[in-house]
Amino acid sequence: MADSALTSLLAERSILLDRTATDRFDAVRQCGAALVAAGAVDESYVDAMIQREETVSTFVGEGVAIPHGTLAGKEAVKHDALVVLRFPDGVDWEGNTVSVCVGIAAAGGGHIALLSQLAEILLDPEKAEQLRTATSAEQVYALLAPDEDED
Amino acid sequence: MPERTVSIASSVGLHARPASLFSQAAAKAGVPVTLTTKAGKSVNAASILGILSLGIGHGEEVTLKAEGDGADAALDSLVELLSTDLDKE
Repeated sequence: MADSALTSLLAERSILLDRTATDRFDAVRQCGAALVAAGAVDESYVDAMIQREETVSTFVGEGVAIPHGTLAGKEAVKHDALVVLRFPDGVDWEGNTVSVCVGIAAAGGGHIALLSQLAEILLDPEKAEQLRTATSAEQVYALLAPDEDED
Repeated sequence: MPERTVSIASSVGLHARPASLFSQAAAKAGVPVTLTTKAGKSVNAASILGILSLGIGHGEEVTLKAEGDGADAALDSLVELLSTDLDKE
């Protein structure tokens, strides 16, 4: 796929597999902090992510949420990046339980292709389950890498 | 089966927020709604993952189909939603 592959935007140190959060906003803040730590965004992007979450939940199903900033927050994006945070105990997300947050920083229109690739993966219940239960960065990379030898 | 074709008004396409609002509305429509892209890919309009997987950009045309009681009214309100720039706040 010519579009930016998910794995190229995900640094290994941005995969945090053993987190706990008090609520969904705490989880979103942690995703924001991970994006700041990755050098992808300014601090102000974290507030933009919270704002987006307040406006509409970023829960997408399959125990996964995709926190990201508002349109106004795009100026705080230095480069496109992903972070993957896993919450083994689950986080209550307006009545749903979220086990994995994929935090997204995207400055241009690239997020549409990103989200499309991510959604394709999550539409496969087996892969979604593997993502929810991943215990190593290698497993996460393997799941997010484009399919090469299977349908 | 009633159907409508509409182009996506949201300036950033049918991604996270617009996709979320749209799929929630489709889920509440009371009738099953199918969304089909120009390329011929169809998904359940109530599935946010399905919608996101299509990666629909601004100005792209999609076709909505629904069947059953109230299908026409449901399609009208969903078309209105897609004709609005849902990213404006």
